[in-house]
Amino acid sequence: MKNIAIIAGLTVASVLAGSANAQLITHKDLSLQTAVTIAQTAVATCKAQGYMVSANVLGRSGEVIVAMRGNDTGPHTLENSFKKAWTARATRAPSVNFANTLKDNSTAGARSLSNMVPAQGALPIMVGDDVIGAIGVSGAPGGDKDEACAKSGIEKVAADLK
Amino acid sequence: MSHIAKRIAGISLGAAVLCGLSMQADAQLLSHKDLSVEIATQIAMTAVETCKTNGYNVSAHVLGREGQVVVAMRNPAAGFATFENSMKKAYTARTTRAPSGKFAEAVKGNPNAAQFFLTNFVAAQGALPIMVGNDTIGAIGISGAPGGDKDEVCAKAGIDKVAAQLR
Repeated sequence: MKNIAIIAGLTVASVLAGSANAQLITHKDLSLQTAVTIAQTAVATCKAQGYMVSANVLGRSGEVIVAMRGNDTGPHTLENSFKKAWTARATRAPSVNFANTLKDNSTAGARSLSNMVPAQGALPIMVGDDVIGAIGVSGAPGGDKDEACAKSGIEKVAADLK
Repeated sequence: MSHIAKRIAGISLGAAVLCGLSMQADAQLLSHKDLSVEIATQIAMTAVETCKTNGYNVSAHVLGREGQVVVAMRNPAAGFATFENSMKKAYTARTTRAPSGKFAEAVKGNPNAAQFFLTNFVAAQGALPIMVGNDTIGAIGISGAPGGDKDEVCAKAGIDKVAAQLR
């Protein structure tokens, strides 16, 4: 009898979960145009400050929406801007946070994942509390300078991020 | 000096002169024009917008002289295979220094063409080399329109937009 009660309880629970799962997920995503504006603004901002940088804007699943190789940048900067952006997207936080995490715990598990890099210069792209992508910048002499350019890119389209 | 020795000396002298000449030519650095990220972005965006005006959502790649990605644009409104395909079309156009449609024509009915065994070749229209005079400095590839000819029209619009700067 007790078992039957448990089974009945599980059935109710699973029907409830089933109805919740039956709704499709609704979310906002970056358009190509918005992503291009973000990347272009970041590259141009850094250029105005005298730094040649590459930029990557990734979408919700970490997919590349825009990749831009800056003029006269080191060949690693395109990859590095991608990895920074990936780190920001995956952790839903500025990539500098992951750099700080590894300072405290140099063998943190995420260190062994593909594309994670403990380097400043990438920010998540948010709509409210929802992370819809990330921008990563690489090439300036210092991650703080890369991050400032990444920020300018996001601010340029702030009105559209809703 | 024997006849043979004279000949050897003559050949050596000739080789030395030739070698000297070619060394001199090689000693000069190559001078060439390359795409800036600003121009590459303009080419890609013009192509994407032209296709959108024509009713097609497309992805685009602009590659540089060495086939490196200068600008890559994934259009989330286009099929997800279009991103890769636009890169491969552009790579094909860059390396053959010709429209990718030309390669598609050349290998039609010949699945054992050697190029199919190379990475990133694709027999599909929709990419054009970016030229400065006779020099191929890159390529643009488009994918997503229903037909490579329609992709190519957009690729051409992108290059036409910056024609004045391609010199």
